[in-house]
Amino acid sequence: MKKIVLSLFAIAMFVTCTESDDIGESVGTSDDFNRQAMLTNWADNIIIPAIQDLSLDLETLSTDKDAFLAAPNQATLDAVRVSWLEAYKTWQYVEMFNIGKAEELNYAFQMNIYPTNSSDIKSNITSGTYDLASVNNNDAVGFPAVDYMLYALSNSDTEILEIYTSASNFDAYKTYLSDLVNQMQSLTTTVLNDWTSNYRTIFVNSTANTATSSANKLTNDFIFYYEKGLRANKFGIPAGVFSTTPFNDKVEAFYNKEVSKVLALTALEATQDFFNGKSYNSLATGESFNSYLTYLNTIRQGEDLSALINNQFNTAESKIKLLSNSFSLQVDTENIKMLEAYDELQRAVVLLKVDMIQAMNISIDYVDADGD
Amino acid sequence: MKKIILSLFAIASLLISCSSDDDGPDLIITELEAPATYTFARNGETTVSYSGQTTRILMGQEFVSALKDPSKTEAQLDGMFAHVEGNADFSDADLNTSSKSIRSKVAASSDFFAANTTDATAIKNDFDTWIANQVNDVFPRWDEDASAGVAGQIQEAGGGSIRYINAQGLEYNQAINKSLIGALMTDQLLNNYLSPAVLDAGGNVVDNNAETVAEGKNYTTMEHKWDEAFGYLYGTDDALNPALNQDSFLNKYLSRVEGDSDYQGIALSLYNAFKLGRAAIVANDYVVRDEQADIIKNEISKMIAIRAIYYLEQGRIVRSTGDNGGAFHDLSEGFGFIYSLQFTRKTGSNAPYFTKTEVDEYITQLMAGNGFWDVTDATLEAMSAEIANRFDLTIAQAGS
Repeated sequence: MKKIVLSLFAIAMFVTCTESDDIGESVGTSDDFNRQAMLTNWADNIIIPAIQDLSLDLETLSTDKDAFLAAPNQATLDAVRVSWLEAYKTWQYVEMFNIGKAEELNYAFQMNIYPTNSSDIKSNITSGTYDLASVNNNDAVGFPAVDYMLYALSNSDTEILEIYTSASNFDAYKTYLSDLVNQMQSLTTTVLNDWTSNYRTIFVNSTANTATSSANKLTNDFIFYYEKGLRANKFGIPAGVFSTTPFNDKVEAFYNKEVSKVLALTALEATQDFFNGKSYNSLATGESFNSYLTYLNTIRQGEDLSALINNQFNTAESKIKLLSNSFSLQVDTENIKMLEAYDELQRAVVLLKVDMIQAMNISIDYVDADGD
Repeated sequence: MKKIILSLFAIASLLISCSSDDDGPDLIITELEAPATYTFARNGETTVSYSGQTTRILMGQEFVSALKDPSKTEAQLDGMFAHVEGNADFSDADLNTSSKSIRSKVAASSDFFAANTTDATAIKNDFDTWIANQVNDVFPRWDEDASAGVAGQIQEAGGGSIRYINAQGLEYNQAINKSLIGALMTDQLLNNYLSPAVLDAGGNVVDNNAETVAEGKNYTTMEHKWDEAFGYLYGTDDALNPALNQDSFLNKYLSRVEGDSDYQGIALSLYNAFKLGRAAIVANDYVVRDEQADIIKNEISKMIAIRAIYYLEQGRIVRSTGDNGGAFHDLSEGFGFIYSLQFTRKTGSNAPYFTKTEVDEYITQLMAGNGFWDVTDATLEAMSAEIANRFDLTIAQAGS
């Protein structure tokens, strides 16, 4: 008898305990917002135009790289550095879209893992045999590896030029730089072609609210990018938020030394533009997180959530603008300002990762890394 | 009769804690009051002592770090695993002068292994073999790339950590570290020190009732046994206010499970059970003592199952993204937690949730052929499901 009574209690307990737990368990849309209009705006006015622009930038980089390798001198080196930076800025508009072919190829892992591993790069150059697409080479390819190849092979431009002209194995250096740029270009072409020929249709027609639907996946990608790619990688890790000491060498574009701030600001702008549904090529805006939240009329503290998020992005931007052009220098001289910028970025994480997704009834599909 | 009433009260209080609002006065569960912290004294001096457990945890810390140092010889690693008093096996001189050893307490509990030296020996041999293989198979390939069937290094995607694996993708250092959580800490804690066979051994009950302290000590033997159980979970933590994540063993994974919102509260439940059980010993109330022991056995067994499921799930998902380095790391941790399942304890029985035979079968499945390189998703999913089912867990909750 006792056993039966206990079991009934146990069942009652189970019911009580699970009841509060079904939030975030998405089954079917709970509203009539036109998701397809949002997906179409994302694909046609933001994602595809940004990747197209990146593809063009990489074409320029490739042309300038060829000119540099054909005749390594200060002028051709300067030109390839300029086009590297242009493409790197455009990349900030693309990195967050880890979906479709990009997800399949681990595109972002092959384009922007920093700090790059200079000893892996050197050993690739020395051996001459490497698979740039190998997971082992994620930290020896992409923009950070090109950064190293253009700025860090020696202490002065004159000496860098010597490495590409008169060093004992100068051909191997040329080949590696060339392979790096060609690989970035080829990956980008693959991702772009998949969007235009195939994936766009799939993407805009996946309008349900399930874990694998387009809006759910891209919302997760967007928040993950904001939390990891932008907040942690560009600010938190160099500022030492996750370690006992700061790391002045873990900033983006470390070897260039002057552009970590402009890249970070560009990334934040890309994030905010995407949030607001702003077209890549114009000032026009379309359906977006912003309009979705407005539609849902989510009110928080008497203000709507879209405005709160935009305000928080603006606050973060104003803090970033106070930083040195070189985040390395900033970390070394006055790290507190890096931490302040990080804190403002973090405040938006809460708004996005908790308030926004609850309002939209979307679940977070990634877990925070275990860390060991 | 008292026992039934206590259980009903416990359920009532659980029910209340599950509901969202917290109205009304605190229920008094028993007449026995646990202190606010794990603090017990006699004649103004503490009676709490578990330095032997702290020592073994510290030895374990140095040992598992050394497993990733390819300059170490097999003899050096064996020396750390099976330390002999006075040998300079560790960098910490206090550990070298200690008479304790890790190996002597692997698969050595009173309930499970006192009369089963066959299994105990086989389990100790597993550890010896893993150490030998790390030195002989993995260390020589430390700087070479691994591939299916070939030991070496493998990097996690995205410029992540470099992992060192055997031909089947297994990181021996992870396998050993996580298997020790079961074979050393869990086995000693659940199946030895919380066992009535140990707590009540010899004249322990009579001595405890009469407050006859152990020779030269300020504690009764029964009090000390309970503290030794406590020490395997909190030995490097603050006993008065546990911070968790203070070692690489049970304390760390209690922190991980507590950090999963599905299981939040487990840390407090364990701490309270340790306190109340110890207070019950002081009050000579062995019914309450054993009820608390059961809570501890349940919660720690569940922790092991949750982490086994978590790593099986994460390993499978990460592998599907092409990140073998990340996946094999997860699966290597999963390997150790699965190995540890044979040291869990089903309350009201003298058995683990998974027998050694069942665990060995899982290990065989994981390591068949090229191991993690080609074990199927279906195999991994079936294992998660069986573990979840046996422990009444859900994969959705444990796996993320």
